Amino acid sequence: MTAMSAEKIIDVLEPGLQSTVQDYPGRPGMMRQGFFPAGAMDHFALRAANLIAGNEQSAAGLEVVLGNIALRFGADATVAVCGAEAELTIDGEPVPLWEGRTVRAGSVLRAGISKGPGFRLYVAVCGGIDVPPLFGSRATYTMGGLGGLDGRPLRKGDRLPIGGDGTGGDGTARPRRFRESSRPAYTRDWEIEAVPGPQAAPDYLTEADMREFFGRTWAVDRNSDRTGIRLESFRFQWARSGGGIAGGHPSNILDNPYPVGAVNLNGDLPVILGPDGPTAGGFVVAATVTHADLWKIGQLRPIGDRLRFRQVTAAQATEREREQRERLSEASLEDA
Amino acid sequence: MNGTAAAIIGQRPAAEGKPGITYRQAGERAVLVEYGEMELDLTLNFFVLAVDKMLSERPLKGLAETAPGFRSILVSYDPLELAADDLLGHLQAVHEDLPAEREMELPSRLIKLPIAFDDSQSRAAVRRYIDSIRPDAPNCEGGTNIDYIVRYNGLSGRDELFGSVLATEHWTAFIGFFPGLPFMFPVDPRHTVVVPKYNPTRTWTAEGTVGLGGPCYAIYPVESPGGYQIFGRTLPVYDLQGRNRVFRENPLLLRPGDRVRFHRVGEDELLGMFEDVRADRYSYQIEEQPFDVGAYLDEAGRLREESAERRRRREEAAARTPVP
Repeated sequence: MTAMSAEKIIDVLEPGLQSTVQDYPGRPGMMRQGFFPAGAMDHFALRAANLIAGNEQSAAGLEVVLGNIALRFGADATVAVCGAEAELTIDGEPVPLWEGRTVRAGSVLRAGISKGPGFRLYVAVCGGIDVPPLFGSRATYTMGGLGGLDGRPLRKGDRLPIGGDGTGGDGTARPRRFRESSRPAYTRDWEIEAVPGPQAAPDYLTEADMREFFGRTWAVDRNSDRTGIRLESFRFQWARSGGGIAGGHPSNILDNPYPVGAVNLNGDLPVILGPDGPTAGGFVVAATVTHADLWKIGQLRPIGDRLRFRQVTAAQATEREREQRERLSEASLEDA
Repeated sequence: MNGTAAAIIGQRPAAEGKPGITYRQAGERAVLVEYGEMELDLTLNFFVLAVDKMLSERPLKGLAETAPGFRSILVSYDPLELAADDLLGHLQAVHEDLPAEREMELPSRLIKLPIAFDDSQSRAAVRRYIDSIRPDAPNCEGGTNIDYIVRYNGLSGRDELFGSVLATEHWTAFIGFFPGLPFMFPVDPRHTVVVPKYNPTRTWTAEGTVGLGGPCYAIYPVESPGGYQIFGRTLPVYDLQGRNRVFRENPLLLRPGDRVRFHRVGEDELLGMFEDVRADRYSYQIEEQPFDVGAYLDEAGRLREESAERRRRREEAAARTPVP
């Protein structure tokens, strides 16, 4: 046996459009220093893939935009891919998503280009991707150019170390799958739950504006990425005539911190802040996407997908998260 | 549909020398606590930072993190561990235990930084913007933003602008938008300078560039896009690699409550210092110096008329200056 054959390394043969190392929940606790948390944009798919691969849900895996990736494993490994619909093969044999496989040293995992629904794929490997953690997380923060592999998307020829946590020593786990009944539904017309505020009616927007916000169908703009999902301009009535000291437009406020999932109004343009977004800014936040539904923004295709916001209370959002935590557990796994 | 879309979950009027509070729902995992009205009153930020400090001294299970803004603070929590009502109760108790603004003394550091005005990197950034993004931007006439800032504020010339930047300490109200980026405001109200931002934004700015957007100064921590009008360059304020000892424990030079005082140097001298920072030969000048809010309020009161006069001059000039 050569040294190469048993190396716990993933060779990146095809990097795809924009693939990054991501974990969950990224790097919370650093907003006061200007860091948004980064981490998987679709946290559900990464967490599910980790469960299948025998990892903690928090482990680092790969977030792959649109697919078109090829990875060669340097040692035996159990892998799982969850997320957008795409053709997936191991050494040329088709394999399903949401299901674990143990591959042999030298095997190549390929994903074709996803035709949707969905936009991102998540690859988990038993033991996790073991790039050096920065401030407690391995997540790539594209806006800050840090974390992951030198703070950048993967390139052809990159070599990713595989960790040894929870693998029982040999890098493999019992092959299992995520029950179909526990998987989320992917679509082209999304419904995303959000809580009104922090700047909503009656002081910034009118009640009629908020009804429009939650009643309209919004198209996803092509200029969307991990920093934010841009929607389309809409003329709100606004409850104020101007921005006061903060500037001319009524969407302007004195710079304030943004919550993760904030839907801010840049003038008349709504933007859902993604995990790599700015921590603060001077725009009104009309609503905040719930944590339980935040995964959906990672699956919005900026090429024709549409969405509606569904208004929920904070209490309802918390209940949804409780249900989601139960769904992301051993109970959702079955033997493959 | 749940009827009203109101986001305000609590309010408390101003009383006992403390500003009023508005508690706003910011998703199910955070509350945005806002102080006073939307006005450029540094006292509100002093209050925010005092609240932030007291919250850090009184840990509460389920309270995840706090992030100050200018007059608000975002308090993030885990709703499965901490009920919203209990969090609001905790925030109210903190508010009650804080002294009146006038009696506050805030921990603060005075940090002296060199600045080179009208440096070649800022000019290169403006040139690049004119060539590739917007050739007719009024804020870029003559290949610099400096003359536009002068004009918009009705100043007598570049020297008056530079004089204002040098004459006052700049209060770091909070860090945000981007890792390590300080939002700073002049402590001396007579030296307030205001300018609209770029439209559209610039794609490139050099590390260490100093800019102004609205009434707020910023130092760019890394090479990045930006929207502020730029007029000079200082030393690095952020270094993940910790090449200078000042960044070893924390990659950020500045924290909320710090005051920055600039002193003027030539660009060649600044570039030499830049190299010295990287080679760990440069020592940043940092002095612990608590900030007395009462003394600030007295001084601001004495300067009120002079500040108002300058403000009138500024607003007249702004009214006849095109916006980008």
